Amino acid sequence: MRLIEATLSGFRNLAEARLSFSPGVNVFTGANGQGKTNLLEALNYPALGRSFRGARDEELIGFGADAARVVVEAETEGGTVESYEYGLERGGGRRLRVAGEPVPRKADLVGRLATVVYDPQTVTLVRGAPDGRRRYLDQGLCGLDHAYFVELQAYNRALKQKTSLLRDAAAGGRGRAGLRDDLRAWSDEMALHAAPLIRDRARYARELGPVAQDVLAGFTGRSATLEIVYAPGLEIAEKEAPAADLTREISSLLDYIGEAEIRRGRCLAGPHADDLALSLDGVDLRTFGSQGETRSVAIALKLAQGELVFRRRRIRPILFFDDIFSELDQERARRLQEATAQMHQVFIATARADDVAGWRPRDARRWAVEAGRITEAP
Amino acid sequence: MDHSAPATRHAARAREGGEFQSPSLERLVRALSRLPGLGRKSATRIALDLLREDAASPHELAESLAEARANVRHCGRCGAITEADPCAICTSPSREPHQLCVVASPVDVLPFEKAGFYRGRYFVLGRLLSPLDGVRAEDLPFARLAARVEQDGIGEMILALDASVEGEATSLYIQRMFSGRDLRLSRLATGIPVGGALAYTDEATLHRAFQFRRDF
Ligand SMILES: [Zn+2]
Repeated sequence: MRLIEATLSGFRNLAEARLSFSPGVNVFTGANGQGKTNLLEALNYPALGRSFRGARDEELIGFGADAARVVVEAETEGGTVESYEYGLERGGGRRLRVAGEPVPRKADLVGRLATVVYDPQTVTLVRGAPDGRRRYLDQGLCGLDHAYFVELQAYNRALKQKTSLLRDAAAGGRGRAGLRDDLRAWSDEMALHAAPLIRDRARYARELGPVAQDVLAGFTGRSATLEIVYAPGLEIAEKEAPAADLTREISSLLDYIGEAEIRRGRCLAGPHADDLALSLDGVDLRTFGSQGETRSVAIALKLAQGELVFRRRRIRPILFFDDIFSELDQERARRLQEATAQMHQVFIATARADDVAGWRPRDARRWAVEAGRITEAP
Repeated sequence: MDHSAPATRHAARAREGGEFQSPSLERLVRALSRLPGLGRKSATRIALDLLREDAASPHELAESLAEARANVRHCGRCGAITEADPCAICTSPSREPHQLCVVASPVDVLPFEKAGFYRGRYFVLGRLLSPLDGVRAEDLPFARLAARVEQDGIGEMILALDASVEGEATSLYIQRMFSGRDLRLSRLATGIPVGGALAYTDEATLHRAFQFRRDF
């Protein structure tokens, strides 16, 4: 998959621009705060229907502009060209179109424009709290299978309902009469959607391990054993059991803790408390990883996610690297550049021209970004 | 739920230049805007439409409203909308008395009746479990449902609830309620889009979902 061109207006600090991209490497250099990351954010927006930095739509509209409008032309593996168009207005108005057709719900975008983003925040994937690793799992799986996304949404809704039931009961608003039966229905409903999530996450983690290990060895030049183990919040015996069996097992696990949940007034277990255990040569990276290892593994995890998209869907995702090479030594940076550029269209934003100096990949294009102006370098 | 509504409405009125100079029109607009889903703007549009000289007689509208209010009721047995209680479906000798289709709302009976393949009877729950909206099992007519199953010797119950999280949870509640009983319990097969409301499902899809209904 690749981006062919983009037209932008009113997006953050970026001046109006029309850009044509290289099918290979695209490099944007400029000091911090000039707009490099904003550009990656604008180009990647259609992949998720939101900013990868977690910004609200309104923050994406430039100062003094009424609206942000962006059109991105992308070519799929099959050679068809699709336009992704979005307009964000002050006051919350939003228009999204793919190939001219309105897309009313973000859900309909999921998995269409395949991208992988690496930015400085990505280190927290290894180092930070479990929710970052759950988000990583969910992002990866939503990009592979739309059914996963549907299940995840249903699970989250059921979780919200059950949480509300428990919270209200704990607050004493309603009597305890019949509460246990209400709770059973919601635990059953959670189990129904937890089962496919657990099964898919277990399988994904199993496939991810060896791929991420290869990627890591590829750019660090050092072979090490990277272990990725799915650590579900529920103690499930056979995580990849048939859906009906798994649902029943989860139902009875949840039923078992029902009384405790009523006492505590909240949901105590389920896929919303899952984690991934990450270890390098037997050392738990979540707590004992060195800074260099943590960074390298975070990069490997992201690239492995892209590789799995390719294995499952035969789509090479577009890679967005925001300030990635400054965190690596030159040798590793160079290997990473070579390896990714062979397979993917790559967008690189960097503050240090040195990071990519001397690297001359075939048909690369380079731009300078200064105060929101994007000018192509000769 | 929406605490800002009165303030918003007030702001809208201010923008539109305040209240009408006609107190009668003002009263009509206010009455209409109390209807669910109607803001002052739509209420005003409807009011002005009703007042057009070529519009149908206002007495016709007022009379039909009063008549409907006096005659329309929920069937005491199944909960469907009817004028005769019990309703024609509940009393019809040609309907299979041991088959019961459980739906969420009275309008969900309509697509089944329109399609015509279903020959059993109904039970309308009125709402679905939803703690977020303060709805718990004790707010649903489950006791009446259990009594109905007992009295009519129901042999098959088809749960035709929306394909939403709330519809599923309600189905699961009923399933636990009747588990271990000598009762065939099934729910509509998928085919109804996830999150899809039954009332908006086309006949062909509904028929297919019914034919391939799945036992719990
Ligand atoms: Zn009836």
